[in-house]
Amino acid sequence: MPLLRLIPRNLLRHKLRSLLTIGSLVVALFLLVTLRSLITTLSSSVEVAGSRRLVVQSAVSLFVDLPLNYQARIEKVEGVEKTCKWQWFGAYYQDESNQFGQFATDSDTLLDIYPEMEVVDGSFEAFQKNRTGAFIGKRLADDYGWKLGDTVPLIGTLFPHPDGPDEPWTFQVEAIYEPTVQPFNDRIFFFHWEYFERTLENSPTGTPGVGTFVLQTEQGVDNTAVMAAVDALFENGPQRVQTTTEAQFQQQFISMLGNIPFFITMIGGAVLAAILLACVNTMLMAGREQTHDVGILKALGFPDNSMALLLVAQSLFLCVVGGGLGVFLAYGAQPGIAGALASVFPGYHVKPETLILGAVVTVLLGIVAGFAPAFQATRMRCVDALAGKD
Amino acid sequence: MLVPLRYNWRSLFVRKTSTLLTVLGIAATVMTVGGVLALQQGFARLYSDNGRDDVAVFLRPGATSEGLSMFSRELAQKIVKTIPAIATGPDGQPLASMECFLAMRLFKKNEGGETNVSIRGVQPATFALRGDGFRIIEGQAFTPGNDEVVVGRRLVDRIENCGVGDVLQINTTPMRVVGIFECDGPFESEIWGDFERLKSALELFGPNRVVAQLRPGTDVEALNTALESSKETPAEVQTEREYLAGQTEILSAVLIFLGSFLGLIMGIAAVFTATNTMLAAVAGRTHEIGILLSNGFRPLPIFVSFLLESAFLGLLGGAVGCVLLLPLNGIETGTSNFATFTEVAFGFRITTEVLVTAVAFSLGLGLLGGAWPAWRASRLKPAVALRRV
Repeated sequence: MPLLRLIPRNLLRHKLRSLLTIGSLVVALFLLVTLRSLITTLSSSVEVAGSRRLVVQSAVSLFVDLPLNYQARIEKVEGVEKTCKWQWFGAYYQDESNQFGQFATDSDTLLDIYPEMEVVDGSFEAFQKNRTGAFIGKRLADDYGWKLGDTVPLIGTLFPHPDGPDEPWTFQVEAIYEPTVQPFNDRIFFFHWEYFERTLENSPTGTPGVGTFVLQTEQGVDNTAVMAAVDALFENGPQRVQTTTEAQFQQQFISMLGNIPFFITMIGGAVLAAILLACVNTMLMAGREQTHDVGILKALGFPDNSMALLLVAQSLFLCVVGGGLGVFLAYGAQPGIAGALASVFPGYHVKPETLILGAVVTVLLGIVAGFAPAFQATRMRCVDALAGKD
Repeated sequence: MLVPLRYNWRSLFVRKTSTLLTVLGIAATVMTVGGVLALQQGFARLYSDNGRDDVAVFLRPGATSEGLSMFSRELAQKIVKTIPAIATGPDGQPLASMECFLAMRLFKKNEGGETNVSIRGVQPATFALRGDGFRIIEGQAFTPGNDEVVVGRRLVDRIENCGVGDVLQINTTPMRVVGIFECDGPFESEIWGDFERLKSALELFGPNRVVAQLRPGTDVEALNTALESSKETPAEVQTEREYLAGQTEILSAVLIFLGSFLGLIMGIAAVFTATNTMLAAVAGRTHEIGILLSNGFRPLPIFVSFLLESAFLGLLGGAVGCVLLLPLNGIETGTSNFATFTEVAFGFRITTEVLVTAVAFSLGLGLLGGAWPAWRASRLKPAVALRRV
């Protein structure tokens, strides 16, 4: 179709305008994809939750620990295969801004309960043998340049070292893991419960409590029954517990954010509205300038809709170039954004669905923006168009 | 000689669609930035406007929030009794209260899901200290020593079991809700009960903080310096206003960053749109510019003229954005305060700062978008320009 050659010609008529429109589209689609990814990242922690893992935590508060002796009682519950203690350590490395998840845990059951972690460097046996050993995520090791055998000093804030608040806790990196599924957290720092408990035993704060117990249930067992049985065990105290699936456990942190995901969606809507207006504006300008061309085409006998198609095609072309670049940019910026957000908001990633969504939005924008001038062109009388009347 | 402003103003309305689309685009940008700022203002003002300068908050040295602070009962009592800066009531007792605090897990009423709510145990002196700032609006106050609590007004519709007569399960102790209170500031999103009862029901180690009415003219900074190095009563002291303002720092910083980030990115797109519109305006009015030039207008006034036209365009967008923003004012929402991880309910606030920022931002967008087209207009040669129709 010879008319197709008119698309680039017409767009090049106003290079600056085409360029600026493309620029706006790049920016808008970049923003849309990034905002959308923030929301999908939030909910993705729920998706990797293990179906055989249950989490026992205090029913009273996120900040209340459970007694150590609960573990033995939980293990006796029918359907429970293995258990593992977790306690949030809340220390920092060198500077208070260097925060990441550190957990005191049971090294004998950790890997059985979390098969998503694959040891890629060092050995898990070496970690188990060294009382002050640490088992850490690959990303974390890369971020701070830690290698096997390195001694890592951490300053405790929630659990200051008994020898003084500035005295670091020291650990040796014995094994490094990489997750086998995405987006499993690859910046965790695990260490031995033994070391944690023995160090604090004789300090003024005394033996620490347990933040959460993670249970692995037996294959094929009814999780709901296990959850009810564990909850019933401590119904009369001393600390009531709440047993949930791992997915529900993750969900509570999302729920805490209140309306924030909704606001992000609203902002996305505003971005979309703004870019749509910008594209329509550009296409109306283009349409107005091409009024005379419409007349010529009509006089030459081209059907009414050929000029309309030409305008929609121009719009589509602009949007696909600009929007495509924007989506591509959002995808390319993923490691940068993930790095910047790593400490506060780990696991940022752009899902393929989001990229597709970006592409669909781009195409729709192109069609809708082209429709306004196309409609006008179709209705215009040949004589008026040739005379250049709007 | 300047080109009359009326020329630009009226020109804007010649191309109605183009002007309208550009104005709406700028309005959407301004609205987004203004909306995020209004959220920040609503949250920050809730804390900073309602803290009192004559009330002191005593925390464990180094603690940044009451959730991380902890005193032994003996130490807290010593603070209440021995610090001379603490005012005394008509009965000669110090106007001070030990408070225990916990972010408690409760269920949301409508959306479902869990949230963390501040639960606070207070001593009787609290009511004398708060005076008219604390008002029971339904039911009655709790009786010290009983398993009773009063609930902040904002929680009633948001959280399960928070109406008068309901029973809240505090670990293994059921406690009856006997009243609803109103109190300016973040307290309205809290549950209050008797210090001794809550401390034992929640098995807390001791009070988290001490609040006290200060004698008039107390130098809080000097008191803080004295106590920080004190062996007897080591504590960190600040006025309640300072304490509450400090609690909003993290979320405020996040929101301001988000607002600036969005402003920058959406601003770029808006500037591009404004440039396109103004370029089309200049192109469409080349003939008119020729007339202006041949009438003796110098290039500089023409540059200024088109720049101002673009500024009008921006300001119109800003005005529309502000008008669209106004209905947000007062809409209530809730989010976690990242200092104690408890949910606080607050309303969007369209403050003067929000409006001024929005208008200044829109003006900036207009000026930036108009600069290049205006420059192009001022560079036109009169003879060439006149020939173009």
